[in-house]
Amino acid sequence: MFKNEEMEINLGPQHPSTHGVLRVKLRLDGETVTHCRPMIGYLHRGVEKICENQSFFQGQVWTDRMDYCSAVANNLGWAEANEKLFGITVPRRAQYIRTLLNEFNRIASHLIWLGTHAMDIGALTVFLYAFREREDVLDINEAFCGSRLTTTAFRIGGLREDLPPGFEKMVRKFLAKFSDCLEEYENLLTENRIWKKRTIGVARLSAEDAIALGVTGPMLRAAGVAYDIRKAFPYAAYAEMDFEIPTRPEADTYARYQVRMAEMRQSARIIQQCMDGMPEGPVMAKLPKILRSEVNEVYHATESPKGEIGYYLVGEKGSLNPYRFHVRAPGFINLQSLPKMAEGGLIADVVAAIGSLDIVLGEIDR
Amino acid sequence: MSEPNVPPVPEVPETPAGPYVYDYKAAPFRQITMPKTVPLPSYRTYVAEQKAAAEADEAKWQKMLADYETAKTKAEAEGKDAPKPPVRSVPRKDDNDLKTPVPEEAKDPDLLKLQALLGDKVEEIFEQAGELVCQVKKEAIHEALTLCRDEADLKYEMLADQSGTHYPAAQDFAYSVVYHLTSISRRKRLRLRILVPEGFVPESACPLYPSANWMEREIYDMLGIRFANHPDMTRILCPEDWEGYPLRKDYPTVGWGQRDISFREDRSGMLERIALQKAGQLGINLKQPKAD
Repeated sequence: MFKNEEMEINLGPQHPSTHGVLRVKLRLDGETVTHCRPMIGYLHRGVEKICENQSFFQGQVWTDRMDYCSAVANNLGWAEANEKLFGITVPRRAQYIRTLLNEFNRIASHLIWLGTHAMDIGALTVFLYAFREREDVLDINEAFCGSRLTTTAFRIGGLREDLPPGFEKMVRKFLAKFSDCLEEYENLLTENRIWKKRTIGVARLSAEDAIALGVTGPMLRAAGVAYDIRKAFPYAAYAEMDFEIPTRPEADTYARYQVRMAEMRQSARIIQQCMDGMPEGPVMAKLPKILRSEVNEVYHATESPKGEIGYYLVGEKGSLNPYRFHVRAPGFINLQSLPKMAEGGLIADVVAAIGSLDIVLGEIDR
Repeated sequence: MSEPNVPPVPEVPETPAGPYVYDYKAAPFRQITMPKTVPLPSYRTYVAEQKAAAEADEAKWQKMLADYETAKTKAEAEGKDAPKPPVRSVPRKDDNDLKTPVPEEAKDPDLLKLQALLGDKVEEIFEQAGELVCQVKKEAIHEALTLCRDEADLKYEMLADQSGTHYPAAQDFAYSVVYHLTSISRRKRLRLRILVPEGFVPESACPLYPSANWMEREIYDMLGIRFANHPDMTRILCPEDWEGYPLRKDYPTVGWGQRDISFREDRSGMLERIALQKAGQLGINLKQPKAD
């Protein structure tokens, strides 16, 4: 006689498909997942506590190291939250350069996601192609701020330096070839039978569930909700940009793939507009050498490639460092939806679900 | 042969060494500077402060005028030159782009609606830096969240963020818990705030907003605030057996164990002293035997 027995297994914390040190406790009935519980905290470094004990300028380097795939987007959120706290107006040229670099960062982050997600599911070739183009984006980062991954690209009040000579040529060269590259990836995946079988209808998350669980970013847009902070609460120079919010109604892994691919096209469009309409002028606001805060409390959210990244800052009167610093990490909130997506599905689809979340554990554990 | 009937000697159990507990509050490099103020933005406090400052300024000016009058009459009586008339000081204007946002009176319809619906359960409403803030009584947070979610004119569908702050210098509360609500359909944000004394267990937002699950676990993990009716009130980032709550202001920033040793101080032999002291506590003899 066969026995019906549930088996409990651990996926991770050392597993290539968990993108870091995520541990997922799974209870299985055969191959069906009946219970799923993500366990996090293996990379907890106490970034919030550290930033509370450092000056407003020093805190920025920690935001790079939270989500190292979208460092520029994290820098932007941090800089803008501080500017809101102090009431700083940033020059228009600095806003444009910030927007430009932020969109490059979105492309780089989505390319990493595309490569690793396809590799999780079994298509290894895309990984090599995606990393080829990501290299160009990192070169552009390097040309601007000397650093490729942990950029610390911006300063509170603007930028440290203007664009370097030859920057525009690099950007134009990248833009000229990038749409062909996207077609190359899509030729490999969009009509690929294995890819479609592994992603269509897998790990569904309906719009109601997504909103209730606080899921943001491409995950929410793939469920048909056109919520993008760049449009809803415009920041940097996004109010002047002409772009669309790609959405899909299917709410499955394939829809998330389509949304992210369309987002990369829109990012290229924004970069084009930034480059064409780049205003002249200073790149740094007039600031005192030392910033001392007043009693104030701000929450500033920006659209990182993963979703809404929010910074909550509390300022103390005359203080050099934030009294309280809190990060609303998009990955942390999005990962909450994993049980909803995984339970009732097959164990092989848990890997697809984790991949479609696009998580970076450095940001989740902070 | 049987043994003589002697009472058995009771075996004295060896006392276990016990876990090594380091008293971080007494440690030399763990001196914590506690905050002395309560940086809690509030329109009422701001208005009161401004009024007090204006009154102090006026009183100073009146005193200067009075002093001038007495000095003038004295000089006239003595036949000397009249003293210089006082000049009222104007606040210095800095030449930079800083314009710190100040709390403003609430004008947004959402805040007024909340106040109308909740009545005296609202402690304060104001706007600052374009953000809407509504502070409600700590017992009424569930009601306020329900209203924000379900009321047709409010419709805040998403709880974007929830976090807390420790205010050890405050008298009648110890923590604040803030809820950042987002209305996707109306493109609005609202911050709800409650002030919680030590040991108070506020109502969980989980039944209303499932996204509060992990955020409240994080608040419990970092600040030690428990939430009632939460499905799974356990630590999330720290290990389950972690001692203390890291984001409280009395928690040290220097790590455990070897990082107590400040290597900059070692020129005076501090490193060695601490190492020897700690080794002694652990029962290890680190001292080198002297060569004879």
